[in-house]
Parts: sequence; C-alpha cells; structure tokens
Amino acid sequence: MMAVPRGPRTTRPVVDVAARIAHVRRYPLTRWLATIRLALRMALHARAKFVGTLFGVVFAALLANFQLGTLFGLLAKNTLFVDNAAADIWIVPPGTTFAQPGQRMSTALVNQARVTPGVERASALVMAGTSIAKPGGGSEAITLVGVDLDTMLGGPFQMVAGDPSALRIADTVIMEDAQRERFGGLNLGSIREVGGYQVRVGGFTWGLLPFGPAFAFADIDLARTIAKVEPDQLNFVLVDVAPGADIHAVKRALESRITTATVLERSEFRALITRTLLSQQLGITFGVSTAFGLAIGFVIVLLSMYSSVIDNLRELGTLKAIGYTNLDLMRMLIVQAMLYAIVGSIIGLGMVAGAAEGIRSANLSLVIPRALVLATPPAMIALCVLASFLAFYRAARLEPGMVFR
Amino acid sequence: MNLAVDVEGVTKTFGSGALVFTALREVSFQVAPGEIVMLVGPSGSGKTTLLSIIGCVLRATAGRVRLFGEDISERAERDMPAIRRALIGFVFQGHNLISSLSVLDNVRLVLETRGVRRSLATREAKTLLERVGLGDKLDSLPAQLSGGQRQRVAIARAVAGDPPLLLADEPTAALDAQAGLAVTELLAEMSRERGATVVVVTHDPRIFDFGDRIVRIADGQIVTDREALHETT
Repeated sequence: MMAVPRGPRTTRPVVDVAARIAHVRRYPLTRWLATIRLALRMALHARAKFVGTLFGVVFAALLANFQLGTLFGLLAKNTLFVDNAAADIWIVPPGTTFAQPGQRMSTALVNQARVTPGVERASALVMAGTSIAKPGGGSEAITLVGVDLDTMLGGPFQMVAGDPSALRIADTVIMEDAQRERFGGLNLGSIREVGGYQVRVGGFTWGLLPFGPAFAFADIDLARTIAKVEPDQLNFVLVDVAPGADIHAVKRALESRITTATVLERSEFRALITRTLLSQQLGITFGVSTAFGLAIGFVIVLLSMYSSVIDNLRELGTLKAIGYTNLDLMRMLIVQAMLYAIVGSIIGLGMVAGAAEGIRSANLSLVIPRALVLATPPAMIALCVLASFLAFYRAARLEPGMVFR
Repeated sequence: MNLAVDVEGVTKTFGSGALVFTALREVSFQVAPGEIVMLVGPSGSGKTTLLSIIGCVLRATAGRVRLFGEDISERAERDMPAIRRALIGFVFQGHNLISSLSVLDNVRLVLETRGVRRSLATREAKTLLERVGLGDKLDSLPAQLSGGQRQRVAIARAVAGDPPLLLADEPTAALDAQAGLAVTELLAEMSRERGATVVVVTHDPRIFDFGDRIVRIADGQIVTDREALHETT
C-alpha cells in the first residue's frame, strides 16, 4: 500500500446546522430565478424535443383558431346584412331566425312604426327568392332584396363596382361580385333576366353570401314586380332611431303598438341569428373540431413533456439530490410549459394570420377577433400546464437516491 | 466531541414479506469533523446504501443518523432538501452534470440553489473552476470535456457553497488510473483546505490511502475500521 502525502488541514468552526438551514431558506427568489433559467436552458437544449412539443402547441393553436375563425367567418356572413343595413331596430315576422325570405307582413306596419315617438325613419324591405337566367341556358337562385330608395335602409354596401344610387335607374339591380362567373360572366351594364324580368346590372357588392342564395339588390317596387309580391306586403320593417332617442325605449314603444310582429334591436337580431346557427349544425361541427384540435395538441404536449422527463431522469434526480424540492421541479415544468405555450401561440397565430390572408374570399373568410387572439396564449398556457402534470407526477415520484445507483 | 457524522444502529431493509432484503444491519459508524473516510467493500455490501442514508436521500428503517449533532432521523421528509442544500456536497460516479448547462452554470446553479446571489455565485464559481484547473473551460458544455475534467467540475460543484460534508460515490469508477488518482487527490486537497468532512465510497484500492480512515463493509456490516497509511508533508 502506498503512502499518500498530506497537506495541512484547515480546522472548520463548529457547524451550526440550524443557521445553515436558515441561510439556504432565506433567499428563495435566488433559487426560483435559477430554476427558471435552468428550465429554459433544459427545454431549449433538447432541440428535437423542443420542436416536437412546439409542434403540438402550434397544431392546437392553429387548428383551434382556424376552426373558430371559420366559425366566426360563417357567423359574420350571416349577420353581415343585419350589421350593415343601417337599421337600429328590425320588425320581423314572428318566429323569424334569419334575415332571409320568409313570412310576409302588411305595409301598415311601416306607418305604425313611423308614428312611434323616437323613430327617425322607417321603411319596408322586401326579400324574396327568385332566379337569374344564364346566357347559355339554365338559371341560378338569388335572394332579391327590395330597398326603399328614399331611406336606403337595407340597401347595398361593400360595393366594389358601381354605386348604390344606380338602383334609381329603372330596371337596375346590383349583384354579388363573387357570383359574376357563376351567373354567366356578369359585368356592369350586363342585361339578364331575373324572375323572367329583364334587368340591367348597375353595380357589384362583395361578400354578401349568407347561407342560401347570394343577395341581389333592387328598388322595392322592381323587387315586388319581379318576385310577385303584393304592393301592400313586405318582409321586414327597418327602423332608424332618432339621434338622442333611447333605443330600448323606442323598441318598447314599438312593441306596445305592434303586436303581430316581433321587434328586435339590431344586436338582438344578430344574437338571434348567431344563436340559431350555433344551436343547429355549426356549433356542434366547429365545437367538435376545435375540441379535437385542442385534444390532439394536449396529447402531443403531454407525451413530449413526459418523454422529456423520462430522458432527463438522471439530471432531475441529481437536482433532487442537491436539494431541489418537488415544488422546484413543478416550477421548472410550468416554466417550460409556458415557454412552449407562448412560442407555440405566436407561431400558431402567425400561421393562422397567413392562412386567413391566403384563403380570404367572398365565399369564406377567417374572422379572428381580437378577443380570440388575446385568449389564445392563456388557453395554450392552460393546455400546456395541464399537460405537464403527468411529467410532474413522474418527476415527483423520482427518488433522489437513484443518483447513487 | 461533536461528530460530523454519527450513525448509530442503522438498519435498512428493502421490499417486504418473503422478498425483504436487508442492506444494512445495525451499523454504527462515526466520522470526526474534517476527517476523510474511505468506505470500501464488494458490490452489494451496503456501502452506497449507507452513503445514501448519510446523504439524506434515503431513510433508514431503524437507527439514528446525526449530522453535526443534528438528528436527521427525526426530521420530516420535507426538510431533507434544505438539509442537503445546507450541509452536503455530492460527487457522483457518473459526474451527473446538467448536460444543457455550461461548466460555469453547473457550479453556479448549486450556489444559487444554496441562496448565493447571482453575481457572487458567478465570482465564486469562477474561482472554484480556476482552482480545479478549468478556468479556460467556463463556457464549455459537459459533453465537450474529458471524463477527468467532468469529474473536476463535479468536485467544484460539490464544494461550492462550502458544505461541511462531502459525499462521493465511486468518483474514479469512470476514469482511467491517472485521472482517477488526480481527481481523488484534488478532492482530498480541496476538502482539507476547507476543513470539510468527506466520505468516499470506492472499490478502487489505489485511492484508499487518500483517506484518514478506511472502513470496510461486507454483508451490510462494518467489518474493519483502520487508519490509512500516510506521510505528512
């Protein structure tokens, strides 16, 4: 056995265990900050795992936003007319759920509305289903909207060619730009038969394509003639409330006068349409696909984070051996979950924005409201933090003594 | 005398019923402050189990363990991480450095875990790494170092924050003979400089005599406990 040389030995003062324990507990913030830095470094170091986890978040953010954006786009298509008809209050046939052709009512309602205090203007709107003949034969369905040209309530908007005043020219209609090819190559000045009546195209709107046939606008008398609607009949009464008048009070006054129809504020009509669409097929279809996207993303993040913990068991065991608590490990995983969620949300939202621009058309537009953009990162954080719990469960069960095996 | 480590009648069993395995049988063992003890014995003799119990990463089934007079057998499980941070530095068989952290960060992390402010931790970590001869490798990742260099980082990490007790588990197992001796010499030197108490579990007979005492363990019991050969310089 060899003899080993020894240097001088320092004598340490008596160890005050309580003081040392108190010292290491005194600055938790220092440890937390170190834990955050460590969590970020560990997440970014394993690049393949980082990209894999990020993929899950991007997938969830992208699919959820895409589905909800499509849903909002479809809802907007169906409420667009109500939003832009310049009417504060709609008087509609009982049981109405959409701004589409339906029951007819008496024009007497217009006069009843006009004499109601607080009403600035009121006018009839005719809406009837008819068809447009194509030059090569055949026809396509359209929804003809007859507008009172004195008020222009319910008149054409989002014009891309021509002007709403073109409706003042006899036998003129304004058609939907997105349907020009479908209707046989329409142009300004094109002559077509609508409901067997020859009309001239005086302008084009863009994107007025609710579920059902595209809208075409005409003077109310022309619309009545084409759609064979009696002169004393209408589909809706559109009311413009006088400046300064209380819209709720005007609505109540109209309700007390008119008992044969339903009186709806614009926001109520919009909400009714939305509710109806959601309660029918749209809510279920898009709800399921959104939940599916979130669930797939959740599973990807859950498995990636769990596998990351499995890959790093020895390092996590080492951290526990040198004094990390389960709470420290939980903080690490939550920080990593937040990193994945924030970066994934930004990428996902960026891709959705690109997709929205790429697929934007009169037929389909993604509508991503600001609330949805703002809600995405918190939702992804919640998803990732929730998904990190399986990883935490595994890390928490880790015995620090495993580092000696 | 106030002992650094006082193990009294410690028994440790694993499993239950017919599958019960007794790793330690009423082991009693003391280490004086500043002493370097080599815990040696064949595989499965219980030396790593004993080291784990002293290191507060494993609870004894029976018996008492006191560190610097504090009875840790009585402490709740939730207190153990703080006790480890306050009192113990570890050197593991496989160095166990955090692969995503640089050499400097590996040492600094332990200091910050022990409540040392970042600026001070950076300074102290650099000093320690210079002391172990790795002042030019501060930004290297563990994967970029040789086995001996990694173990030197592990020693710097273990002594960071000046813990009074250092526990080393087979610190030379993954090293060649020359690197193993150099690492053990460094561990012994640094612990003497700091007056730290050291318990080293090892199979490697070449490093036995770096300790003050050699405690041999077999079948879960201490069989010999003798002073090491040494010369004073």
